[in-house]
Amino acid sequence: MSGAPSGDLFPLDNALRGIRERFADAVIDAERTSLRERTVVVPAARLAEVAGVLANEWGGALIALFGLDECAEHGRYRVHAMFSMAPEDAFVTLVAAVPQDAPSYPALTPLVPAAHWLERELHDMLGLVPLGHPDPRPLIAHAGWPRGMHPLRRDFRPPADVAWPPRFTITPVEGEGVFEIPVGPIHAGIIEPGHFRFSTVGEAVIQLEVRLGWTYRGLEPLATGAGLTRGLELAERLCGTCAFSHALAFCQAAEELAGVPVPPRARALRSLAAELERIASHLGDLAGILNDVAWVVGGAELARLLEVVRQLCGHLFGHRFLRGVCVPGGVLRDLDDAQQLWLRRMLSDLRADLPAAIAAATGNAAVHDRLAGTGLLARAIARDLGVTGVAARASGLERDARRDHPFAFYRDLDFHVVTRTGGDVLARLELRAEEVQESLNIIDQMILRLPGGPLAQHLGELPAGRWGSGVVESPRGLHVHWLRADERGAIGEWRVRAASHAIWPALALAVPGNIVPDFPLINKSFNLCYACTDK
Amino acid sequence: MTWEHLQRALLRGTLAGRDAAPPPAGLPVATREAAGEIEVLGGALRAEVRRLFAGSFKLRHLDAGSCNGCEAELAALLGPFYDLQRFGIDLVASPRHADGLLLTGPVTRHLEEAVRMTDEATPRPRLVIAVGDCACTGGFCAESFAVHRGAGAVLEVDVRIPGCPPRPAEILRGLLQALGRGPAASAPARATADAGDA
Repeated sequence: MSGAPSGDLFPLDNALRGIRERFADAVIDAERTSLRERTVVVPAARLAEVAGVLANEWGGALIALFGLDECAEHGRYRVHAMFSMAPEDAFVTLVAAVPQDAPSYPALTPLVPAAHWLERELHDMLGLVPLGHPDPRPLIAHAGWPRGMHPLRRDFRPPADVAWPPRFTITPVEGEGVFEIPVGPIHAGIIEPGHFRFSTVGEAVIQLEVRLGWTYRGLEPLATGAGLTRGLELAERLCGTCAFSHALAFCQAAEELAGVPVPPRARALRSLAAELERIASHLGDLAGILNDVAWVVGGAELARLLEVVRQLCGHLFGHRFLRGVCVPGGVLRDLDDAQQLWLRRMLSDLRADLPAAIAAATGNAAVHDRLAGTGLLARAIARDLGVTGVAARASGLERDARRDHPFAFYRDLDFHVVTRTGGDVLARLELRAEEVQESLNIIDQMILRLPGGPLAQHLGELPAGRWGSGVVESPRGLHVHWLRADERGAIGEWRVRAASHAIWPALALAVPGNIVPDFPLINKSFNLCYACTDK
Repeated sequence: MTWEHLQRALLRGTLAGRDAAPPPAGLPVATREAAGEIEVLGGALRAEVRRLFAGSFKLRHLDAGSCNGCEAELAALLGPFYDLQRFGIDLVASPRHADGLLLTGPVTRHLEEAVRMTDEATPRPRLVIAVGDCACTGGFCAESFAVHRGAGAVLEVDVRIPGCPPRPAEILRGLLQALGRGPAASAPARATADAGDA
């Protein structure tokens, strides 16, 4: 895109010019914080207004919203709203100060629906009240939390031995013949805990409410005051099945913070491992979908392929879920020539077997009937809610951080961003199958072009007060990790926005209109993570 | 197309007990199980399950705040290479049908009540097996205010299977340990009753 002067091709310049012109009275400060991030400081009272125009007119997509407690130093809380300016590799971060003695600000959600869960979580964690939020109920906290408990406040002292039985309110649906079906948090199978409340008439679901927060482990505050090794341990354990993506996003945040470039071989091995993780995750999701429609032969075939990939990861990288591979500054594991050759040979079997299994499944009328038209997620809803990953691309939103905000080795790789327009379970299934092929292409390219050189670069001391962000396309979508160093060079604050966090509200809108027995299938077709949403 | 698919699967034969990705001789690989480890463990498990539970040992999985890593390994155990069911062990949907609980995660405060209720719904005697570092001790997040330090804080745990997550073979080894020191007084009586019903 170089050389093209049109404003449309440079969303960042466009937006920055627009913000300066239109909000000349509001912008306190605008500066370049890194090669691709610009920070615009606005008064909290105008934050929603600027965010609304940025999202709705200038093409910004809200990818993270979080708060920091700066009461001790400055008597204020600090709110960051981070927007992706894709297709340009740029971010705009709106920063606002919320006074300690009046911790509230006008909510973004009425203008930027993607902020919905983010603002509820901000309220729970830091006690900042989003005024005018259409649904101000607690998100993670449930109603059983002791009043005034905000774990991300610096002066937070955990209550000792207090039981917090999770209690919450559900939006009532009333009318003749309306029944409520409560499901969970404990489910009948090997599934994570979440509560789903269906309001139904007969078989048809007319409303679904998703209540998460059950697996809240309070991970973000654990990083405060810790070193990067401990931070990485926490990041890798946010989620079992996208452990590598979280580790990578965390490491990228640390590297940006420290201003340290990663050696080419490490970047290449990171891309390779990230694609192995994507393949494993997609194979597991595909197996789940086929099992849910009782296409057992296909489910077993995909479970077979998944175990092959898991064992490859274990043999070559020392961990079946690729933990301990990515570290701040590089990677810990290398592949020699014989290992590369074996990996390629093993994966070439997968290249042939997967399309055959998928074609056999979707070619069956009974299977096709269950998948087609089920769990429709409209493109406009996906866009408004800031959905990323498979869920976005299957609804025709061409968003992929590997291309939009290239990390690891992706800038130098040749691959397609696969999309579908169907937005249903079938589209998400076909999309995953096709993405596995793309991942195999990427791994092949990586093996053919694996650069030499060292595996890691020493990070040294973290510069006090600086921050960095890591944005990664995980198997489920965009992960954002954000780190700020404290004055001693340890981790001051760590914030995470997992892909599933953005997609759960969209899932709740893809279910109404379907019948109750299709819910597990729709849920599986998104296969969102509970643990990395709850944190 | 369906027939071709089935035919391929049939020609491939049963996968149970096979190595999914055997590395060629001489290839340097990271830690892995000894060859045939799964079969050795599985054979021993089958014998114990027959002795104590008349050949059918049912477990209920209970996620108490896991990261989903242990869940992925439990799912792998039920997959085609390990095929846990052939040893007489299965995971059931209801705690009422279970001989024991497989608990994962550190037990978050939010799930404490649900964990207790699930346990109460499990008929006695029952085994409580903590799977993974989190369930054993609270693991990496033990110091968090939002979690307990493992299953032991809420229930009496019979066996702990460490690992983050424990590999399938390690889970099998832990299950064997659970049955080896199983509920000696009550289990044989139950086994006899089951045999009588059959």
